[in-house]
Amino acid sequence: MSSVNLRELTKRYAGGATLSLDSMNLEIAHGEFICLVGPSGCGKTTALRMIAGLESVTSGEIEIGDRVVNDLPPRDRDIALVFQSYALYPHMTVYGNMSFGLELRKVPKDEIKAAVTDAARILDLEEYLDRKPAQLSGGQRQRVALGRAIVRNPAAFLMDEPLSNLDAKLRVQTRAEIARLHHRLGATMIYVTHDQVEAMTMADRIAVLNMGKLEQVGSPRELYDRPANQFVAGFIGSPSMNFMPLLVENVDGAIRVVSAQHHMDVILSDAEADAIRRAGVSNVVLGVRPEHIDNQPRRDLGLEIRASVEVIEFLGNEVHVHVSSGDDELVVIVDARTPLSIGDTLTLSAPSDGLHFFHPETGVVLR
Amino acid sequence: MAKSTSVDDRRLVPLAKRLRPSRVVLNVVLGIVAIFWLVPTISLLVISLRPEALFGQSGWWKVFTAPSQLTWGNYAAIFSQGFHTGGVLDSLMTSLEITIPATILVALISSLAAYSLVFGYWRGRDIIFLVIVGLMVVPLQVALIPVVQFYRELGNLFGLNPYGTIPGVIIFHVAFGLPFGIFLMRNFFTGIPKDLLEAGRIEGAGEWKIFYRIVLPLALPAIASLAIFQFIWVWNDLLVALVFLGGNVHAPLTIFLYDQTRSLAANYWIVSTGAVVSIVIPLIVFFSFQRYFIRGVLAGAVK
Ligand SMILES: Nc1ncnc2c1ncn2[C@@H]1O[C@H](COP(=O)(O)OP(=O)(O)OP(=O)(O)O)[C@@H](O)[C@H]1O
Ligand SMILES: [Mg+2]
Repeated sequence: MSSVNLRELTKRYAGGATLSLDSMNLEIAHGEFICLVGPSGCGKTTALRMIAGLESVTSGEIEIGDRVVNDLPPRDRDIALVFQSYALYPHMTVYGNMSFGLELRKVPKDEIKAAVTDAARILDLEEYLDRKPAQLSGGQRQRVALGRAIVRNPAAFLMDEPLSNLDAKLRVQTRAEIARLHHRLGATMIYVTHDQVEAMTMADRIAVLNMGKLEQVGSPRELYDRPANQFVAGFIGSPSMNFMPLLVENVDGAIRVVSAQHHMDVILSDAEADAIRRAGVSNVVLGVRPEHIDNQPRRDLGLEIRASVEVIEFLGNEVHVHVSSGDDELVVIVDARTPLSIGDTLTLSAPSDGLHFFHPETGVVLR
Repeated sequence: MAKSTSVDDRRLVPLAKRLRPSRVVLNVVLGIVAIFWLVPTISLLVISLRPEALFGQSGWWKVFTAPSQLTWGNYAAIFSQGFHTGGVLDSLMTSLEITIPATILVALISSLAAYSLVFGYWRGRDIIFLVIVGLMVVPLQVALIPVVQFYRELGNLFGLNPYGTIPGVIIFHVAFGLPFGIFLMRNFFTGIPKDLLEAGRIEGAGEWKIFYRIVLPLALPAIASLAIFQFIWVWNDLLVALVFLGGNVHAPLTIFLYDQTRSLAANYWIVSTGAVVSIVIPLIVFFSFQRYFIRGVLAGAVK
C-alpha cells in the first residue's frame, strides 16, 4: 500500500514571516495521480519537498503507506523525486545515472542491469545508455530523469514541474508519456505544476493551492464545473473565467441581481436566489467561463449581455473576443466562422448552468 | 573529448582566415614571447648536456654549431651516486616525500572542509569562511619562529617533536596550503547545483557517498588546479625546508641545489643537471593533471 496522507501539514521556513504551507490536509490513495497546482510561490514545491524529506516539517504529519515518515530521512521513505532541473549526475553515463540508486542499495548487478534495460526500453533510451547527460537533448534528459525514478520502483513518485524546461510540442508529448507510465506502473504520483492544462489533462484529482492554503481538491471535472471559490474558478480553465460585480436587489422578498449600468440581464434559478438571500449580501460576483458565452440564441438562458467588440484573437478553430460591457471587460469564445469586426455591438448569452456566484468578500461560491 | 574538439576547431578555421594579417602578426608575437620565456630553461638544459670543462670556455649556444658536444655524461655522473645520502637522487626522493603527502592532504582536507562549508547546516559557516580567507594574507615568515617553538613544546609535552623531521615540514606546508585550498574548493562547490546532492540523498546516498561519488568527481578540475599549485609551491620551497629540516641529513632538492651554489667553486654541472631533474617532476605532474581541465564538466547536470 502506498497511499500518502498529509495531516495538518504546515511549514514555516526559518526566518519566514508567513506560513509557506498552512495546515494542508490531503489523502492520496494508492495508485492515484494527483496534481498540486497553484500560482508561483503558493507552496507546491514546499509540500513536495516535505513529502520527500528534503524539508523539515514545522507541524503536522506525513504518512506514506502506513508509516508516519516525519522523522525518516529521504532514502528511507521509498519515494522517487523528479526534479524540475532533472538533476542528472553529469559525470555519469545514462546507465550510471539510472543504476546509481540501486547500486547504493546493494541490489545485485544482474538485477540492476535488468531494471535499467527495462526502464530504458519503456522510455526509448536504449541507444543512449553510454552517453553523458551533456550529450542528450532536453527531452532525452527528461526521460533519463524519469528512468532514474522508475528503476527504483518506489512507493510514490514525486515530480516537480518536470516538463517546464521542454518546448511546447515536447511537453504535450511527454505529458502523454507520463500518463502512460502512470497507467503502466499503477504507482502513486504526486505531480507539481503551475500549468492548469497539465493538471487537467493528467490528474485523477487536482489539489489547488493558494498562498500556502489548500483551496479545493477534486477531479478535474469537479473543479471545472463546481469551483468552491473564486480563486479556483479563476485558476482552472483557459482563458480564465470572467468575473463581474453585480448588485443584489431584494424587491418584496424576490431576489434579483443587476449590473450597475444595466448592460446585462441575469435570470436567477430559485436555488441561486436562495443562496444569495441566505448569504445576506448586497453585492455578488458573477463568474462565467468564456466558452459558455456566445452570440447564439439559446433556450435555457441565464445571462444576456450587450457588449462591443474590442479585440479579436483568431486561433483557427475558435476566436477569442475581448468585449466591453459597461465597466466590465470580458473574454468570450465564439465560433471561428462568425463574421466579426472591432466595434461591433453583440448580444451575448450564457446558459443558466454556466453561471457561478461568489461572495464578494470571502470569494466562496454561493450555491 | 577535449582533444578531439581542439583538432576539429583547427580544421574548422579556414586557411584564408588562418593567413589573415592580424592572425599572422598575433602568432609571430606569441611565438617571440614563448621563445623569450623558454630561453633560460633551454640554456639550462643545454648546459647540463655539455661536458663540465666546456662551461668556462664558451657559451652554451655554441652547441648549435657543434652538436657533438652534447653528452649524457653529467647525468650519468649524478645518477651513478645512486640513492646514497647527500646525492641528487636522495634529495629527489626527499622532495617527493615532502611534496606528495603535503599535496594530497591539502586537496583532501580542503575538499572536506569546503563540503561542510557549502553543503552543511551549521551556524557560523560564513564567519568561519571569512576567517579562513583572512588567513590567506598571513605571510609564512611570520609563523616560522612560533611554529618552531610550538613544535618544541609538543616535544616537551608528548616527546613527539616534529622539528627537524619530514612530517614537521609536511604539517607546516599543509597548514599554509589549507586557506587557499579551502577558498578555491568552496568557491567551486558553490557552483554545484544542490539538486544533485538532494537527488543522491533521495536515492540513498549518505554524506560520504555524496561526497566521493557526486561532489568529488565534479570537482576534479578544481582539485587538479589546487594540486598543481600546491605541488609546485611545496616543490620549490626552500625557506620552510631550511628552517624546519635543520640538520636533517636528507635534504630536498631545493636545499641540495642551494648548497651546491654555495660551495666556492660552484659545481655548475651539478647545479644545472640537478635543476633540470627538479623541473621534470612538476612537468610530469602538470601534464598528467592537465586532462582534468576540461571545461564544462557540469554541463548537462541541470536543465
Ligand atoms: N528555503 C526557503 N527559505 C525561506 N522561504 C522559502 C524557501 N523556499 C521557499 N520559500 C517561500 O515559501 C513559499 C512557497 O515557495 P515554493 O517554492 O513552495 O513555491 P512554489 O509553489 O513551488 O512556486 P513556483 O511555482 O514558483 O515554483 C514562497 O513564498 C517562498 O518565498
Ligand atoms: Mg516550485
